[in-house]
Amino acid sequence: MALTNDELKAAILKKAETAPKPQLYIKDFYACDPDSKPRVIKNAANDLVKEGKMMFWSSGSTTMYAMKNRIKDEEGEGGVN
Amino acid sequence: MAKHETPLLDELEKGPWPSFVTDIKRQAEKSPQCWDILGQLELSFKERITHWKHGGIVGVFGYGGGIVGRYSDLPKRFPGVEHFHTVRLAQPASKYYSTKHLRDICDLWEKYGSGMTNMHGSTGDIVMLGCRTEALEPFFYDLTHNLQQDLGGSGSNLRTPANCLGQSRCEWSCYDTEEACHHLTMHYQDEIHRPAFPYKFKFKFSGCPNDCVAAIARSDVAVIGTWRDNIRIDQAAVKEYIAGNIPANGGAHSGRDWGKFDIQKEVLALCPTECMWMEGGELKIDDAECTRCMHCLNVMPRALRPGVEQGASICVGAKAPILDGAQFATLIVPFMKVSADNEFEELIEFIEKIWDWWMEDGKNRERVGETMQRVGLPTFIKVMGLEPIPQHVKEPRSNPYVFWQEEEVEGGWERDVEEFRARHAA
Ligand code: HEM
Ligand code: HEM
Ligand code: SF4
Ligand code: SF4
Repeated sequence: MALTNDELKAAILKKAETAPKPQLYIKDFYACDPDSKPRVIKNAANDLVKEGKMMFWSSGSTTMYAMKNRIKDEEGEGGVN
Repeated sequence: MAKHETPLLDELEKGPWPSFVTDIKRQAEKSPQCWDILGQLELSFKERITHWKHGGIVGVFGYGGGIVGRYSDLPKRFPGVEHFHTVRLAQPASKYYSTKHLRDICDLWEKYGSGMTNMHGSTGDIVMLGCRTEALEPFFYDLTHNLQQDLGGSGSNLRTPANCLGQSRCEWSCYDTEEACHHLTMHYQDEIHRPAFPYKFKFKFSGCPNDCVAAIARSDVAVIGTWRDNIRIDQAAVKEYIAGNIPANGGAHSGRDWGKFDIQKEVLALCPTECMWMEGGELKIDDAECTRCMHCLNVMPRALRPGVEQGASICVGAKAPILDGAQFATLIVPFMKVSADNEFEELIEFIEKIWDWWMEDGKNRERVGETMQRVGLPTFIKVMGLEPIPQHVKEPRSNPYVFWQEEEVEGGWERDVEEFRARHAA
């Protein structure tokens, strides 16, 4: 059975908090619920960005997701690799 | 007054052609941050390494695309380009707009950004080059509220769809490219403005096989107008061309005297499938062999027109050379009706079938064309629920292996081994 939207969001947040790398591809979240369609997972991840809980990091050609507190802003010192 | 010495860049102003260096110097008189572009680029020329950092966290509220973050790695030395983000604006279908709209966009960009633009980027969008992070939200507010102008796509999103000017000006267009482009743009707003895929995804619309938006080379789904009946021939006009009374190619090559028009040499002999000939003073075409290259129609537009049963061919999987080499799209559906009457239902169904599969099976940063190549065309065709057809075969008879499915073989894979061994001892 697929997770509910709230359960899915909680699983995505957990993954984003605990994954070794701070920036994650959308596909990295598919494992949060193998029963949910990729598009449902994508929508949940985008909702979390809208709610201000995660953020987009983009190279221009690829977009990744990250927790705000785990990622350093380019404008600060050092920046992201 | 120039802020940096740029002897290497100055070389690029010497030729007879227009120079981006001259353009940037001129703009820098108005927007001084542009001097630092020249300073940083000069340094890169000298050191042979870029000083742009790649990517970052920029965007406007609610959008996950349309803005590409760019930062200098020498902000103290070149403060004007400390932030120099690119903003993509969705171009209208066929790039029709009023000069007033263009002026308004330029004025807005001089207010919030560097004033530098790229009309248009290779993506099709109007590209605004260079602004600071804190200018993004106010720029976006004015853009949407005062100019009713939206951002385009970037990142792992559906990119701003693009089309040739189609039936608005071109007699060859086999479907309404503008309507198709506009409809799909509106239909997929979420996919354009927020990341949706393992990587970028593009569709582009050309009205005929001349493919003026280069859909076949640049898009994951290329919708290219075609016809499935016969080229319409006006034999009287053919005679006029032969007599030299109508200039070939619509007069496009009239700058020089190419001699008398020779239909044999300039049309019949150049038909790639050799399916045209003259008979009793009339032009004949074996339409079953015609590959819709458009050559004969381009040379004699008054005499030849696309057939009346019109639609589009759908090709999938083009990409630029990022990992492997550049790749053209592969023909998947030779003919599809493309019509606003059913809100492009067939096309939308086709696109979403690709997405469902690619989102699941595509690897990170893998374009759909690369996924197709990895699994092979037979697998892709099966995924799409299509029957293999001759048009899918690039070189007939070069591969002797035919793979049957069990249900296609009488008796299936099961056989009576005892009975077989009775005849063939082990
Ligand atoms: C250890 C023993 C053998 C090995 C490792 C071996 C290996 C191979 C390989 C690698 C091929 C090429 C397959 C391809 O092109 O895809 C081949 C083809 C072939 N082999 Fe063998 N083979 C062996 C024994 C035999 C024997 C005993 C025969 C005949 C009595 C035989 C007859 C053939 C034939 C006729 C082909 C051509 C098949 C075709 O082109 O369709 N092979 N073999
Ligand atoms: C009257 C008898 C035969 C006829 C008419 C015949 C005919 C053919 C034909 C038309 C081909 C296809 C050639 C091609 O693909 O270009 C072929 C291939 C082949 N035949 Fe025969 N054949 C006969 C007997 C035999 C026998 C007795 C053997 C083995 C003991 C044999 C082994 C093969 C093999 C291994 C191939 C594949 C060759 C390759 O893959 O390059 N054939 N045969
Ligand atoms: S692609 Fe064909 S229909 Fe579109 S503008 Fe070019 S020639 Fe005309
Ligand atoms: S369109 Fe091309 S292939 Fe078809 S008849 Fe004309 S020249 Fe030949």
